[in-house]
Amino acid sequence: MATFDIEELGRLIAALPPTPEGWVRAAQELPQVRRELDDLLVRAEADAALRARLIADLESTLADAGIEPTRHVIADVRERLRSA
Amino acid sequence: MGPELSDAALVARCRAGDDSAWSLLVERFSRYVYAICSQGFRLSRHDAEDVFQDVFTRAYENLHKLRNDDAVRPWLAQLTRRLCIDRLREATREAPVEELEPDGMDEMIESLDEAMSVREGLARIGEPCGDMLDRFFARDQSYRTIGEELDLPAGTIASRISRCLEKLKGAMEDSGALVSPEVG
Repeated sequence: MATFDIEELGRLIAALPPTPEGWVRAAQELPQVRRELDDLLVRAEADAALRARLIADLESTLADAGIEPTRHVIADVRERLRSA
Repeated sequence: MGPELSDAALVARCRAGDDSAWSLLVERFSRYVYAICSQGFRLSRHDAEDVFQDVFTRAYENLHKLRNDDAVRPWLAQLTRRLCIDRLREATREAPVEELEPDGMDEMIESLDEAMSVREGLARIGEPCGDMLDRFFARDQSYRTIGEELDLPAGTIASRISRCLEKLKGAMEDSGALVSPEVG
């Protein structure tokens, strides 16, 4: 168990400042985005035109599918398309 | 789901596919992960964001591998350290790995662990105290801003903060997270 005074409590509260806007939300949405991506990639496996669109214009195709094309989502899909 | 949910219970719910539990897990540990990236390793904002998202992506993918659900915090700390080092290694390929981690990282994480205990205390004392202390100390807001945003007279904020700190100290002593320093 720790021992600290009031001043130390203030210092410890300050040690954990808020995470920049948007970072937490992006991480929280991960399960939902994963499901949507899985669904999109399964459809792309069976649909050559969709797969070609994903490769040619990933950002727009994701946006059309209702998936926000963040930097991390794009990197993830590119990786998965490469390894598919 | 409130702050009373233990780390282990939270992890179990995440593993069962509960999206709201995942959301709470991210919220609970986001500042901790961010602090390791930004204060511990002094990553740029861009690199810190990449590592932050990578940490939670890998945590999500590998949660089933966690052997002790109570140990999610040290697990996340270790994952964050490793990914920070990977990021630094990409930038400075010549440097040996052991030189990439700043000195005193263990002590820093220990201090952040204490800070996490204090955050648990903030959740226990509830509002408006928890919010007020977070605004003043963690968000660095002025008395004036706090007063305006919480619709309170700015002249009363200092005394309210002082009372809230006492309340926090009491809550932490009651929970056993803190021992009063001996006086005299």
